[in-house]
Amino acid sequence: MKVSYRWLKELVDFKLSPQELADLLTARGLEVEEIESQGKGLEKVLSALIVEKGKHPDSDRLSLCKVDAGSGVIEIVCGATNHKTGDKVAAAMVGADLPNGMKIGKGKIRGVESNGMLCSEAELGISKESAGIIILPPATPIGKPIAEILGRDDTILTLKVYANQGHYLSHHGVAREIAAALGLKVKKAEVKTLDWKGSPISVGLEAGDKATQFYGAQIDGVKIGPSPAWLVKKLESVGSRSINNVVDATNLVLLETGHPVHAYDSEKISRKKIGVRISKKDEKLPLLDGTEISLTGGELVIFDGSGKAIGLAGVMGGGNSEVSDTTKSVFLECAEFDAVTVRKAKTRFIKMTEAATRFERGIDPKNLPYVMSRLASLIIEVAGGKIVGGVKSETTPPKPRPTIEMPLDYVRKFIGIDVKDAEVESCLKALECSVEKSGTSFKVTAPSYRLDLNLREDLSEEVARSIGYDKIPSTLPKLSSQPVPKAFDPQGAEQILIERAKDAFVRQGLCEALNYGFTSAKALADFGLKSVLRVQNPMSEECEWMVPSLVPGLVGNALHNYRHHFGSESPVVRLFELRPTFHRSTETSAPGAELDVPSAPSHFETGIVEAWKVAFVLSGPRYAASLRAEGGDVDFFDGKAVLESFLDQMGAKGIRFLPLHTSRAPDAGAGKLLHPGQSIEVLSGNQTLGHFGLLHPGISKKLKVRGDLFVGEFDWGILTKMCRPASVARAFKAWGEFPSIERDFAILVDEKITADQITTVLKNAGKPLVKNAKIFDVYRGAQVAAGKVSIAARVILGDETRSLTEAEAEGVSTKIIAALKKDLNADLR
Amino acid sequence: MDSLISKITSIGAQTLKDIDAASDLPTLEGFRVSVLGKKGSLSEVLKGLGSASPEERPKIGAAANEVKAKVESALEAKREKLEAKELEGKLAKERIDVSIPSRKLHRGALHPITQTTRRMVDIFSRLGFDLMTGPEIETDYFCFEAVNIPADHPARDQQDTFFMGPGLVLRTQTTAIQTRAMRGQKWPIRVLSPGAVYRKDNDATHSPMFHQMEGLWIDKDVKMSDLKGTLEFFAREIFGEATKIRLRPSYFSFVEPGAEVDVSCFKCGGKDAGCKVCKGSGWLEILGAGMVHPKLLELAGYDPKEVSGFAFGIGIDRVAMILNEIPDLRLMFAGDQRFLSQF
Repeated sequence: MKVSYRWLKELVDFKLSPQELADLLTARGLEVEEIESQGKGLEKVLSALIVEKGKHPDSDRLSLCKVDAGSGVIEIVCGATNHKTGDKVAAAMVGADLPNGMKIGKGKIRGVESNGMLCSEAELGISKESAGIIILPPATPIGKPIAEILGRDDTILTLKVYANQGHYLSHHGVAREIAAALGLKVKKAEVKTLDWKGSPISVGLEAGDKATQFYGAQIDGVKIGPSPAWLVKKLESVGSRSINNVVDATNLVLLETGHPVHAYDSEKISRKKIGVRISKKDEKLPLLDGTEISLTGGELVIFDGSGKAIGLAGVMGGGNSEVSDTTKSVFLECAEFDAVTVRKAKTRFIKMTEAATRFERGIDPKNLPYVMSRLASLIIEVAGGKIVGGVKSETTPPKPRPTIEMPLDYVRKFIGIDVKDAEVESCLKALECSVEKSGTSFKVTAPSYRLDLNLREDLSEEVARSIGYDKIPSTLPKLSSQPVPKAFDPQGAEQILIERAKDAFVRQGLCEALNYGFTSAKALADFGLKSVLRVQNPMSEECEWMVPSLVPGLVGNALHNYRHHFGSESPVVRLFELRPTFHRSTETSAPGAELDVPSAPSHFETGIVEAWKVAFVLSGPRYAASLRAEGGDVDFFDGKAVLESFLDQMGAKGIRFLPLHTSRAPDAGAGKLLHPGQSIEVLSGNQTLGHFGLLHPGISKKLKVRGDLFVGEFDWGILTKMCRPASVARAFKAWGEFPSIERDFAILVDEKITADQITTVLKNAGKPLVKNAKIFDVYRGAQVAAGKVSIAARVILGDETRSLTEAEAEGVSTKIIAALKKDLNADLR
Repeated sequence: MDSLISKITSIGAQTLKDIDAASDLPTLEGFRVSVLGKKGSLSEVLKGLGSASPEERPKIGAAANEVKAKVESALEAKREKLEAKELEGKLAKERIDVSIPSRKLHRGALHPITQTTRRMVDIFSRLGFDLMTGPEIETDYFCFEAVNIPADHPARDQQDTFFMGPGLVLRTQTTAIQTRAMRGQKWPIRVLSPGAVYRKDNDATHSPMFHQMEGLWIDKDVKMSDLKGTLEFFAREIFGEATKIRLRPSYFSFVEPGAEVDVSCFKCGGKDAGCKVCKGSGWLEILGAGMVHPKLLELAGYDPKEVSGFAFGIGIDRVAMILNEIPDLRLMFAGDQRFLSQF
């Protein structure tokens, strides 16, 4: 909300500068977000006389003006056409830095030197657009600052008013705060309270406790016309547009008192009756802003004797009862409407009006007679006419504010600040609370406009902010020995595993990425994925579907890196992510399953499964730097190394890798996103932990990926259940002291035989002396028959308790050779 | 006798000359064998010793030993010289271009938000906070109703919410965990909850997803000064000894009294009007806090006359941006390797 510094000064006699005022209000909890001096940027703009308007020698459109701005005649080139010799104008001098951002320098325009600029309203920041330059009244003195001439000498403060601070939404409200802080009094306009009788129009309240008070008055003989300059200036200073004198008066009263009021053309109120009722379903109502709304049967509406709605109560007046140029009699409304009902109407019809903003926060229920009287006298002042009579209707009288009991030592104990009883009392009294000391507590009643003060906690804040939050000491809370409930994460176990997982990837040179929990339908469709959870009000299509997998996000990151990379080498892409993915608890895997909007089964259950996943993507150079020919790009086995090291660091046991094409469900999970011949399913027992491999060429092609992307995604829930628990440390394992013996085998096998099959045979055939078996070379080529592959394998033999003999090693070798032949049809080379 | 001695002397002289002239180790070794070896010239000469008289023998022997010692020491000296020369040549031959790029390993890094979260958790843990997490898709009840923001309350406008369906939202604040933490639990409560939250906002300092850390402490006799001291401890630990905090009265529906908390700029300490970190204000807005509203305590079944508590919510991303001098929040979520590998 914007408030005028000058206006506030009219209401409270304070001496603070705008900056000091802003600091005071901010420190008291009414945050000043911006201080804007109206004259800012106008410092070097002066009133001036056009001594002679001449022609520009090189342009038909431009004029060359001799201008006197108080210190001699200068020449200024001007592009406007609405000026003539002898006009008084606003001249920006060289060096001016105008509010619209324009900087005035000395320069030539089409060959002629110009020593300034004649300004329009838009250039001075007075209006958004303007047709020509400003022509000032003939009597204007020259050489004066234009801010002074135009009366732009106010400072406007922009306040951040919170949802519970309706009492600040007016100049009176802010003035009260200043007065309380400085021990001053607010000087409100004095008005004679109207008599609530004699109104030709009667009022009927038919909405029960949704509309409890209505004050009205009729003024005849008004003359609709422009407002006086002071009124226009006041409104415009805080960003309110002048419309006509009567409407301006209602707006001024709103900005002054914080209570929204309305003026109707009395003649448009049928049968001299006005009232408030609940709307009927599908009832139509034309509004002031030219729109027509269809009511839903819950809003509060103003209606007239014909029964038709003539206003959306508390939000906006009706187009069918508005004051026009020919209006001669006005009927004024000042009422109290239910905050929630007004808010619902405002939200439903998206009418964020000043009136609704105030009603939804609650108005001062005891101020209606003053506001109505003030409005009536103001209208007579600016539009003439005389009061025919007033009217008042009330269903229930305003409820008195509750009495709050607050122990004398409450502020000391709850805030922790050393404050005397008398000081507590005086703080509250300065805020117009009534305070009574009785026994060991205060009995406090807040003023009628402080709807936010209901509890002793509320009062403690008033005292604390009055004394100053900076006066609160710093202490540390006592750590009680009572055990704390460990509801969600005993000993931070989950957190320890999360840290372990992230550190494992970091050690292998991967960086952690963080992607949004939502993405676009297209991003998922590229992967053949579908989300079943849609954001109902996305801000863009990129924020619409909750992610079912981390792969699209990471692949998107990889693409981003490729796009922002230049040169002949591929970019480094080494990223991992550990985050939830989102699923319905009743999710079916059937593609195209009906997507209905989920709803929470209860206050406490979301009915949504947030499945954490851990995923990574690798692409680009194997080394961060190296000779290109030496390093090369990462391949499947670099990725497999990352995966194995990750699983090892997690302390995962009993892990098996299965070629994806032999998987039972190759299309499950991330499996369908991968190249079937260059990927693996990772199993823990019979459970699928996840998948790793080369991104499916079909997807790569669609996404126009330039390099090979190796991606893996794993179920965090399963992993955490089978890895080393957070509370278990790694146990020491001894190594054998006796030397081991190596035996190498060069064999020819069918190329379909996997390395895994060979090592399995080696280990089984050589039990229990084979400690390890591995493939150390694979060869296909001229000397190897088609369909065959030459494999070099090595076994390590040993016994923890003794040295093996050559004969024992020979025995094992013989068994192994036989088994290779029998199980794999492998021949020694 | 004289002829024998002169023979020996002349062999010695010639050998020393030859040694001096030798240019490599094999040649040198050849001289050693040809002179000192079993069939070497010196041995050959000494074979004539048998014909010398007993008086002469020691003299000849002495002359031979003298020559032998001279030759040996000359051989040794020359060998050392030649070996040194040979090594020099070898070293020169083995020279490599050490300026060729190394096989550099990739440096991995935790996301700056994760690093900041860990630091923050570490600091608060020392005061006795425990960790807990809640879901990102949250019920309207936990996100709003239970933290004293009923439907149709203007406070809902303070946060632009993403809706998932009836009764479901993307949580707009980690405050949603407060009631989750207290529900069905006995106090004391001391929890810390970092996590992602969502609001409809997107510019250099706002992102539709960002991170907060909620703190909640409920016990007997908890005072607002305890809140201030806790936050001051945190601010000093994370931003440095000299850091000050400033509390300004503010409104959050779930606390009363409420406060906006600023920390003094760790970069300039408020002394640099052109400071990039604080924009010259000297203060950084990083968190909101307050005393837990009695309605929340009552909802948990606690008696506000018996227990009290404080709560705070810190913008983790904001702290990370400040600490790492990151100019644009959107960088955090772009997955750009150039950005992520810096921290």
